[in-house]
Amino acid sequence: MSSEYRQARYDEELLIERGEDKQIENNPLPSDIKREEAAGIPDIPKHEVVRYFNRLSQMNYGIDTGLYPLGSCTMKYNPKFTEQIASNTKASRIHPYQPEDTVQGTLEIMYELQELLAELGGMHSVTLQPAAGAHGEITGLMIAHQYHKDNDEERKEVIIPDTAHGTNPASVSMLGYDLVEIPSKEGCMDLEALKEAAGEKTAAFMITNPNTLGLFEKDACEIAEIIHDAGGLLYYDGANLNAIMGKTDPGAMNFDIMHFNLHKTFSTPHGGGGPGSGPVGVNEELASYLPVPIVEKEGDTYQLDYDLEKSIGRVKGIYGNWLVLLKAYTYIKYEGKDGLEEVTERAVLNSNYLRKKLQPHLDLPYRELRKHEFVMSGKRMKDKGLKTTDLAKRLLDYGFHAPTIYFPQLVDEALMIEPTETETKETLDGFAEAIESIMDEDEEVIGEAPQNTAVRRVDETKAIRDSVLSYKMRD
Amino acid sequence: MSAENEMLDFLGLEDKEELFEDIPEMIRTDLDIPEGLSEREVMSEVKGKLDKNKDLDELVSFLGAGIYDHYVPAAVGEIIGQSEFYTSYTPYQAEISQGLLQALFEYQSLIAELTGLGAVNTSMYDHPTALAEAVLMSSRIQRKGGKFLIPENIHWDKDPVLDNYLRGSDIDIEKVSFDDDGKIDRDELRSKLDEDVLGFYVETPNIFGVLERDLDTFKKLKEENDCILVVGSEPMLLSLMRSPADWGADIAIGESQPLGIPPSFGGPTVGIFASHEDYIRKMPGRIIGETEDSEGKRAYCMTLQTREQHIRRERATSNICTNQSLMALASAAYTYVRGGTGIEEIAKENYEKAHDLADRIDDIEGFEAPYFDSEFYNEFTVKVPEDSEKVFEKCSKRDVLPGVALDKKEKFRSLPDLILVAVTEMNTEEEMDVLVETLKEVVA
Repeated sequence: MSSEYRQARYDEELLIERGEDKQIENNPLPSDIKREEAAGIPDIPKHEVVRYFNRLSQMNYGIDTGLYPLGSCTMKYNPKFTEQIASNTKASRIHPYQPEDTVQGTLEIMYELQELLAELGGMHSVTLQPAAGAHGEITGLMIAHQYHKDNDEERKEVIIPDTAHGTNPASVSMLGYDLVEIPSKEGCMDLEALKEAAGEKTAAFMITNPNTLGLFEKDACEIAEIIHDAGGLLYYDGANLNAIMGKTDPGAMNFDIMHFNLHKTFSTPHGGGGPGSGPVGVNEELASYLPVPIVEKEGDTYQLDYDLEKSIGRVKGIYGNWLVLLKAYTYIKYEGKDGLEEVTERAVLNSNYLRKKLQPHLDLPYRELRKHEFVMSGKRMKDKGLKTTDLAKRLLDYGFHAPTIYFPQLVDEALMIEPTETETKETLDGFAEAIESIMDEDEEVIGEAPQNTAVRRVDETKAIRDSVLSYKMRD
Repeated sequence: MSAENEMLDFLGLEDKEELFEDIPEMIRTDLDIPEGLSEREVMSEVKGKLDKNKDLDELVSFLGAGIYDHYVPAAVGEIIGQSEFYTSYTPYQAEISQGLLQALFEYQSLIAELTGLGAVNTSMYDHPTALAEAVLMSSRIQRKGGKFLIPENIHWDKDPVLDNYLRGSDIDIEKVSFDDDGKIDRDELRSKLDEDVLGFYVETPNIFGVLERDLDTFKKLKEENDCILVVGSEPMLLSLMRSPADWGADIAIGESQPLGIPPSFGGPTVGIFASHEDYIRKMPGRIIGETEDSEGKRAYCMTLQTREQHIRRERATSNICTNQSLMALASAAYTYVRGGTGIEEIAKENYEKAHDLADRIDDIEGFEAPYFDSEFYNEFTVKVPEDSEKVFEKCSKRDVLPGVALDKKEKFRSLPDLILVAVTEMNTEEEMDVLVETLKEVVA
């Protein structure tokens, strides 16, 4: 197999470079606060601007370009009809402070989405306010914090496994909690170590299941028992929900709080880094702690309810990323029970198929059966004097986005691969052939990759050293 | 044999269910939601629900309070609708993501021009969370806890967001009230500035639409007290107004929604976050840097990643991962499509229309506009002659939305019957006539 991918390669100067010094005519502001000179924003013919961004887009790779197997990120096909519905002016041109009787459609959709997510997570109530997964995590920890405070308990520790996403420990320390990290045992939670760590200081325990190695934590119930016995709350990171829908749910595992990643599981696009949406679900006991407002239904009318007894207040402005919520709602209605169950089955089948396809070429730590993703080691690259990052860069030449690399940290030279359910067998075979082919290539070819992309290997060290973070900072 | 069966066969399995044998029976569940619909059915159902909404084309709206209805040129939607942009993710692989990286670098560069601060991240969730992150960053810069002064004259959503973000920190928020002109009370600010203060926040325009003046006072207070100055502002106005950097800001924040993002019921928007170049390693969020590739060609990549959660974990400057990148791209596209002169012209038009409307409302008997006798941009307060809710009720029967009620907000209960009116280029002369006539009639 040869690499036939060719990305566009334009030399596009920044538009900002075309800014010129000029005065502002007829500036109405009082003289003490008005700008002396205009900000350096150029005037460029509109069609030139469109061409510029169009060329930039040709130097970018999305899920619509090809396979994008970033582990943990669930890069699946984004249905086009959800984009179309979100561009309806009755969705986009509504103001958050319109009277409730003029936004009944929106409130109805939000209410139904709260209900659908509660069912999908096995939770009692849901807030749609958080804007992303990490935002959901910190919201969940704020709820746990308030809960313990109301019970006059000072609990200072949050326990996580060493396989956790980076956002978990970051959320923990952002709220001033002490982090207790448990080393995993054969890729899963070490129950003995957990028993030892859990105690009267434990505020909460956070885990994703299946974990970041793609392994299902089968001791979920025992984990819940240990934490609950210690008086702590259980938080489920919903990043990997794509692997379990219709099979089990966090509520069934006795978890108290969870977040959903609508941009992952429910395929609202990732937008080059966002916007996402990270609704949080809680059990019945915690329902009145949710941020306000939530949407309530009274008779045939939907309304924003600010009156939750123990609410933590707010985690962001207004109501959440409404247009993302709308896309996720539309997706869930489209897939339905049958579709979402199939999503899970296909995602896990694709993952295991690709895992087995790759096993002759890369090393697989821990047991074989994985859920929606798996982690392999690229340590064989070391025999060539190379690293996993070189393998990742060479994959780009074959027209595949690289997997997540160097995470989770407990796997040497990790490659974290999540094919998702929307890829065909042919695409997965192509990816496996690319890996096989690269493993046979000369060191120089791999080490100097990529060559088919808009630029060659990017010097990240220089970027840090120079720290040019805007045109203004360029000397 | 179907592809699926071939795959199962390859795995030595007979049934897909075997892939789930590691999930214990006792936690197995069934999904209790309706079966799926076809694309045609789902489009018709969701559209049917949305049809119950009235959009801003069907209403005469002067709503603002942080979200503004500006015209978004069609080219902006086309640009962010390029699937190579919107179906990509965080550009971890720089070589194959140059287009998005360069576009986001343009966004950072534009915000740098408007705020005067060179170090800009690719977005926070929104203005309130940007404020919370700015307060946390101030504490990192000062390497200690302490007091942070927050004015009362900011949006009511910001206070609870701050409280929640600071729950576990050793930072205490102290409020500074506003004076009769709706501006931050300078004497109180001065009196509260002591050595325990990490920094203070000033917003202009503030929630009353009022522009803070004598900006150099804030710079002086900041320097005298050796603390951090965080400034919140509106990006379109910044095309006409002195930049936050010009009056001493260490961190500039704001909401980029006015630049190319529809009101969208309040989300998604973009939290602006810019910092003085001395503090780049203390910043939260994703940042794009300029560099070269192995052949010396200019290139872009995510940089200073050792601040971030995926590398630094519990020692990261923030937990943010997924942000609002595509909306940042929309703001960059909008700004270039409009051009520097275009942005200035819209800002001027907004300013002039708002002042014209304020004069006209002020002429109606029983109304006072602006209530706070201060300079403003495109939003101002109006004292209404009866309960604001009653006024709204009567107006909304005619599909007229005069503004947002300030007096109903807990923190502004002490104010008289007061509403906040915003004007953009979308408000035609006819709409302003309708508003003025409606207000006259409803209180008659």
